[in-house]
Amino acid sequence: MSKPTVGIFGLTGCAGDQLVILNCEDRLLDIVALIDIRDFLMASSENDEGCPLDIALVEGAVLSRRDADKLRAIRQRSKILVALGTCAVWGGVAAMDRGKDRARLLEEVYGEIGLTYDSSPAQALHEVVKVDLGIAGCPIEKEHFIAAVAALLNGDTPLYPEYPVCTECRMRENNCLLIERGELCCGPITAGGCEARCPELRVPCVGCRGPAGDTNVPSFVAMLEQKGFDRQQLAARLRTFAPEGVAQ
Amino acid sequence: MTTIAIEHLARVEGHGGITVELEGDAVANVRFDVFEGARLLEPLIRGKRYDEVAPILSRICAICSVAHSLTSLKATESAFGVRVSPQTELLRELLYRGESIESHALHLFLLAVPDYLNYPSATALAADKPAAVLLGLRLKKLGNQIQEAIGGRAVHPVNAVPGGFGRVPTLDQLIALRGSLMQGRTDADAVIDLVASLPAADFCHSDTVYAALRSPNLDRYYGGDEVMVVSNRSRAIVRAADYRELTNEKAVPHSHAKHSTFGGNPFMVGALARLTVNPRRLTGRLAVAMKRLKLLLPADNPMDNNKAQALELIDDLDRALESIEQLLRAGLKDERPMPVHPRAGTGTAITEAPRGLLIHSYTYDDEGRVTAADVVTPTALNAASLELHLRRAVEQCAERDEAVISKRLQMIARAYDPCISCSVHLVRKR
Repeated sequence: MSKPTVGIFGLTGCAGDQLVILNCEDRLLDIVALIDIRDFLMASSENDEGCPLDIALVEGAVLSRRDADKLRAIRQRSKILVALGTCAVWGGVAAMDRGKDRARLLEEVYGEIGLTYDSSPAQALHEVVKVDLGIAGCPIEKEHFIAAVAALLNGDTPLYPEYPVCTECRMRENNCLLIERGELCCGPITAGGCEARCPELRVPCVGCRGPAGDTNVPSFVAMLEQKGFDRQQLAARLRTFAPEGVAQ
Repeated sequence: MTTIAIEHLARVEGHGGITVELEGDAVANVRFDVFEGARLLEPLIRGKRYDEVAPILSRICAICSVAHSLTSLKATESAFGVRVSPQTELLRELLYRGESIESHALHLFLLAVPDYLNYPSATALAADKPAAVLLGLRLKKLGNQIQEAIGGRAVHPVNAVPGGFGRVPTLDQLIALRGSLMQGRTDADAVIDLVASLPAADFCHSDTVYAALRSPNLDRYYGGDEVMVVSNRSRAIVRAADYRELTNEKAVPHSHAKHSTFGGNPFMVGALARLTVNPRRLTGRLAVAMKRLKLLLPADNPMDNNKAQALELIDDLDRALESIEQLLRAGLKDERPMPVHPRAGTGTAITEAPRGLLIHSYTYDDEGRVTAADVVTPTALNAASLELHLRRAVEQCAERDEAVISKRLQMIARAYDPCISCSVHLVRKR
């Protein structure tokens, strides 16, 4: 059987999810032996930019016409398109407060010339093309990437936790930062899968994995308000990694 | 007019290209184009509380996420007058070394070395010369182990917080790291052997101005706040609070990165600049290795940045071990972060990210909310110098063969180890 053809791409972002792939140091050469990587600009200077792909892995958010065109072209040549990381799945930090007047911000940062730049408010991939699988995380967990490769090679799709960070935090028997210490921890509404990395270190969850499935956000906000947090600032914090209205 | 265009620069972080315009044999124009979208994180961070700043701004770049995170914390702590404990300083320095080891190993072995040996990628190189790639992967993994143990995650650290660390690593973790580092040190000779065996990259000579942090102990990435700018003719010191003297930036149409000059001259930052500014680092094992690499300072060849990274890589292993020994000698304490009391004011921090000087400067209101934020990255600082060196390479290339010129330009750009995601972040208009 021929090896599946794979492309690994970055739109606008920090390249962290591609870096996580390169961080699979012990498995990297094994993974490369199982798949046929045709297009991976960050790691190779010899790429086939037009061939059909069985799997496209795309990280970053869409922040320009250039990004949108590139994403559409990737979609067109790929059987399975995987959104890699919170920027791709939810929009990520660049989508924070995306309702703000972009022209004004561009002008403020770059001067008048900024108004000529190709720049648009951050969008998640699924707002532009059909996405077959999303792997959230900022960055993604190494094990989730390896699980995805293993599943896709076997014609399956991987399942990732939809339960909140709190579930994993409780399993690790941590003291609750929110209830016991009154800290603004986003664990109750953020998707797990990180094994509660931050609360385990006594650091409140910032929500980098995006929303958990089936959460009761109004009740969470009401509880935080009771604890004295300001509603507006709360809303801004909850939108740091995933803007409102982006859910599929 | 002939144009040589490298549309997508490969084996670098982010999206950029190079365009050269020739009129006859003369070089009319050289541009390092940056296509990375503008994320506008600096204006978007306004109004955020001080504890939100580092987690958001570390997302500027994954490969330098420790540097962004710790520089951010240093700026915030400086604004609020917070003094962290000596243990925190040591742990942060160790975390920095971890990032430097990972970043240099990634750049040298997976991104730069394939050029010298005429391979398109490290995986292609691995098919013929697995030892070189496996060496790089081993060291890269070691850097990540340090970042995971101290920072809580290899990319976008979570454990470093204002005032210190969420949770201090355990004694067992440090002892395990010490074991891995001692093992890693045995690879140092192989690193120098490999880099010394690469064909000479001798196609760009230029007087170069270098800028790096002059650290009090000459060996810190994280400590210190004086930048020294060194040229053949002069030396100048710039203090952190005056960093704008270095970022005399102007926006250019072809790039979302602004260009910086000092006294009208482009300058280079990064490993080669650090060694040039702090030559007293180069004693003992490093001095021997430097001879083997035939590196002379100050260098007039930007490709020597790869050699400088190799030297730093083996130095980082020693320094990381030293930090661990110091931590163990002092007795590891389960400290909580120092209390942070916000106040209105400005804090500026300069550190040495793997690719060179990194500056974060914030102004806070009395509730500890950001009113202004400025981030100046090494790749933005390097942009003008890179363009100068690209121009020199074309001028000094006797052949007008596009493939030859193109390969040389790409090698120079890669030697700068550009981080294009970073480069789009810049100071506000003045």
